[in-house]
Amino acid sequence: MISFFILKWRGIIFTYLFLSFFLFGCTRPEDNAINEPGKNPSAIDSEKSGPELHTIEISEMKFHPDQINVHKGDTVIWKNNDIVAHCITEENTKAWTSSKVPAGASWKMVVNTSANYFCAIHQVMKGKITVE
Amino acid sequence: MKQFRKVIAAAIVYSVILAAPVSAQKTSKLTDPEIASAAVVANQGDIGFAKIAKQKSKNADVLKFAETMATDHQSVIDQAVALVTKLKVTPKDNAFSRKLTSDAAKTRKMLQSKSAKTFDKAYIDNEVAYHKGVIAAVENVLIPQASNQELKSLLQNVVPTLKAHLEHAQMVQKMFSKK
Repeated sequence: MISFFILKWRGIIFTYLFLSFFLFGCTRPEDNAINEPGKNPSAIDSEKSGPELHTIEISEMKFHPDQINVHKGDTVIWKNNDIVAHCITEENTKAWTSSKVPAGASWKMVVNTSANYFCAIHQVMKGKITVE
Repeated sequence: MKQFRKVIAAAIVYSVILAAPVSAQKTSKLTDPEIASAAVVANQGDIGFAKIAKQKSKNADVLKFAETMATDHQSVIDQAVALVTKLKVTPKDNAFSRKLTSDAAKTRKMLQSKSAKTFDKAYIDNEVAYHKGVIAAVENVLIPQASNQELKSLLQNVVPTLKAHLEHAQMVQKMFSKK
């Protein structure tokens, strides 16, 4: 009877030690990363961050902003907050176009090259994307 | 009833735009129902001109411009109708909107009489003049005289569209002057 309790308590203690070690081991890498010399959490985040999202608002028959600098692979989204439909079209060779974007709708694309663009519906509306 | 409201609204828009500078000096302040009527009439007028252009012109720039006018002005009418419906305002015919309607009829007759050779220039010249008149009327008469804030805001939102139309028309007009 006594030996049975000894064996049972040994099992409980062994399990406790095993779990403590396991859980402790899982938390250490995070502590090491946060405390790594010369780095802080925000620096690590920026290194990991990928392509950015840039927003251009269409309102009062203009692109806001009408000129934007991006990195290759960034996404640009145009939000049409105007009262009429617009489109976003590459100006020089018509290499790409959004087709008609109704009032209240949006359109986005991944940018890989610089471009002058315009609204082919209202040809006086122009914008420029520069890939840095 | 809906069609009637649209016509009234279009009439109001164009009346206000074109006749306001003169009417404002001769008549008393327009009411919101009268302003709504002038706004709709003014928009309907340009849709009528665009319809003729689509029938008579073969010039790609003119046809594209006319298509934009028809689409944009219908969009403005739809929003004006939605607003007056929400506000439970019935557009009211008035001297201003009636003048817009009669002027638009004369312009349509003039455009219909043009030959294929002279139509494009006549249409674009009229678009430049028409939008100048409408912008002046909206800015100097309709917006200042509108009482309801939502109606005033709608009219203010329409001005940049009208100015872009004018700029676009002037761009096409320059192309004709170079030929």
